[in-house]
Amino acid sequence: MKSREEILQAIKAVSIPTHEMPTSYLPDQNQLNVYAQFLSSLKTVGAHYVEVSNEAEASDALNQLFPSINRYNQIEIVEDGLSLAGVEVLEIKGQFGVAENGAIWLDEDDFPHRVAPFICQHLVIHLKSKNVFAHMHEAYIKLEKASTGFGLFLSGPSKTADIEQSLVIGAHGARSLVIIIYN
Amino acid sequence: MLSHSEASEKFIADEERTNWHDETLWFVRSKRDVASKNVDDWERLRNQASDIKDYTLSNLGELLIQFESIAQVNGVEVHWAKDAAELNQIVLTIAKEQQVQTIVKSKSMLTEECHLNDFLEKNGFDVVDTDLGERIVQFRNEAPSHIVLPAIHLKKEDVGETFHQHLGTPKGNKDPQFLTEAARQHLREKFLSSKVAITGVNFAVADTGEFVVCTNEGNADMGAHLADVHIACMGIEKVIPRREDLSVFLRLLARSATGQLITTYSSHFMKPRKGQKMHIILLDNGRTRQLAQDEYRNSLKCIRCAACFNTCPVYRRSGGHSYHQPVAGPIGSILAPNFDKKANVDLPFASTLCGSCSNVCPVKINIHEQLWFWRQDLMKEGLAPVTKKMGMMGMAWVLAHPSVYQIMGKLFRTVMKFAPFIINNGLNPWFKQREMPEVPKQSFQEWVKTNRK
Repeated sequence: MKSREEILQAIKAVSIPTHEMPTSYLPDQNQLNVYAQFLSSLKTVGAHYVEVSNEAEASDALNQLFPSINRYNQIEIVEDGLSLAGVEVLEIKGQFGVAENGAIWLDEDDFPHRVAPFICQHLVIHLKSKNVFAHMHEAYIKLEKASTGFGLFLSGPSKTADIEQSLVIGAHGARSLVIIIYN
Repeated sequence: MLSHSEASEKFIADEERTNWHDETLWFVRSKRDVASKNVDDWERLRNQASDIKDYTLSNLGELLIQFESIAQVNGVEVHWAKDAAELNQIVLTIAKEQQVQTIVKSKSMLTEECHLNDFLEKNGFDVVDTDLGERIVQFRNEAPSHIVLPAIHLKKEDVGETFHQHLGTPKGNKDPQFLTEAARQHLREKFLSSKVAITGVNFAVADTGEFVVCTNEGNADMGAHLADVHIACMGIEKVIPRREDLSVFLRLLARSATGQLITTYSSHFMKPRKGQKMHIILLDNGRTRQLAQDEYRNSLKCIRCAACFNTCPVYRRSGGHSYHQPVAGPIGSILAPNFDKKANVDLPFASTLCGSCSNVCPVKINIHEQLWFWRQDLMKEGLAPVTKKMGMMGMAWVLAHPSVYQIMGKLFRTVMKFAPFIINNGLNPWFKQREMPEVPKQSFQEWVKTNRK
C-alpha cells in the first residue's frame, strides 16, 4: 500500500484552484420524433429491425430471417461461457433504446452469461417501442439507481475498419443484429 | 533514435503513400465534422465535459478513494502503481498465479506506455493483442501508429502479406472482408482458451465503482467474460465523478473519434462474474507530476479520441511512428515531454501551431498553446540542438541591429538575384520540399524612401 499513499500524497501536495461540480447536463429540447430517430439511427449503425405487434408476428419474422437455424432464448444462468460458443442465434431482451445513437441497454440479468451477446454468431434483441429515450442523458437518468454486475449499451453488430478504413461487419462479436420492436 | 523531422523525411519519401495517409485521416476528420454538427448542443457538451474534468482534477484524490472503496465493496481488487515497472510487476504476479501461457489483451494505450507486452513476453507469456489493428501491428513487430486506428499506416496489401506469413491466408489476398474473417477465426481460438484477460479503461465512475470499456469489435468483452481473471489497467486521470457524466462523454467520444454515433459496445463492469476475479490497477507514472504544472494540467483531461491526430496537418503527413512515442499526434507531443524532456524535445516542434487540434478536442484541451509552452520551457532548459541555438542567437542579433538587418536583407536579395544556388541547395533545410519565394525588388524601407518623400 506504499504506492497508494505516495500517489495520494502527491495529489494532495498539488494546489489546484477549486472547481465546482457542474450541475447535471440539461440537453436542448428535442423537437424530433424520438421513435423515428431511433429507427433512423438503427439503420445508420447497421442494425436490422422488424416492427411487430405480438409474439406470433415476431416468431414469423425470425423464422424468415433465420430459416432452419436453432435460436437460443433461455435466460437461465450458464456457468461456463464456453458452452455458448456454438450458439448461432441468441435472443435476448433489451431494456430500453436510445434514439440519438441506436444503442440498446442490456443487463446481464437478461442473458445466460456475460459473454452470450458477444460469442453468438447472430444477435436478436426484443424491445418495446415505448422504451425508447431521446438521448443518453435520459438513458442515464433511467439507469441512475440500477444496480447490476454488468451491463452495456450495444449499438449495431460488431464491426471494424482497421484494414484501410474499409468497414467490415462481424469482427469478434455478433455478425448481425436484429431488433424486434413491439409496438 | 530518429527525431520527428528525420523520421518524417523517410515517411514522405513515398509521395503517393503520404498523400493516401493524409487523405484517409482527413476522411475520418470529415466524418467527425458531420457527426458533431448533427448534435445541436455540441459546444455545450464540450464545455460540460471540460468542466467535469476540471472538477475531477481538482478533487482527484477524493474521487480515487471513493472509486476504490465502492469498487472494493463490489468485489473488485484495487491496486495502485506509481510507475510502469510497478504496474508490470502487479500484472505479472497476478498472471503467474494462474499458471497460464497465453494472455489476451484488448487495446490499452496505457499498457503501451508501460511496455507491458515486452515485459510479459520476457517472463515467458504469450500476449495476444485482440484488437484487429493491434494484432496486425503486433504480427509485424511494430507499435500502433494511431491510438484509435493502430494500423492506419498500412495498406491492405501490407495486411494481406502479414496475414499470409502469420495466419497462412493465400498470398496476394488483400480483401478486408476476407482478412477480417481470418483474424476472427484466429482470435476466437485465443479467446476460448485464455484464462487471463487484460483490458484498458475508458472511464471509471467514482460514485458506482464501475468502469466502462468502449470497443467496436467486441474484443475486450470476448476476452474479459471468458477469462477467469480480468485485469483492467487505468491512469488515475480516467476517473469521473458520477455515472450520469458518462452520458456526456459517451456522446462525445465516438463522434470525435470516428464520426460514429457511439461505439458498438460501451460495457459497464461493476462486479466480477460469479467465480471470476477482477482487478483494477490505478497508475500514476508521471500523471501527478503533470497535475502539478499549471500550464500542462489540462492535458490530463484527454479521453483518447484522437480527433487531434486526424485533423493535424503534421500528423497526417508524417505518420504516427515519426513521433517515437506510444501516443503520437498533438496530444502525444504535449504528454511526452513530461516523461522525458530530452528524448522528446523534438515533439512540441512537430506542429504548425495552427490550433486545429484545440478546436476539435471534445474536452477543450488547449493543445496548441501547450505545445508552445513546452517549446519555451524546453529551450529555457537548454535542450535545443546546437544548430537551432546558434540560428536563434544569430537571428536575434540581426533583428536587434537595424543597420545589420538592412545590409543582410540587401545582400540576400542580391545573392538570390545573381547566384540563387548559394541559398537554393540541399544544405539549406528550408529549401527541402520547398520552392523559395520570389525575391522583391526592394525592401519595404527602400520603398518608403522612394515613394514617401
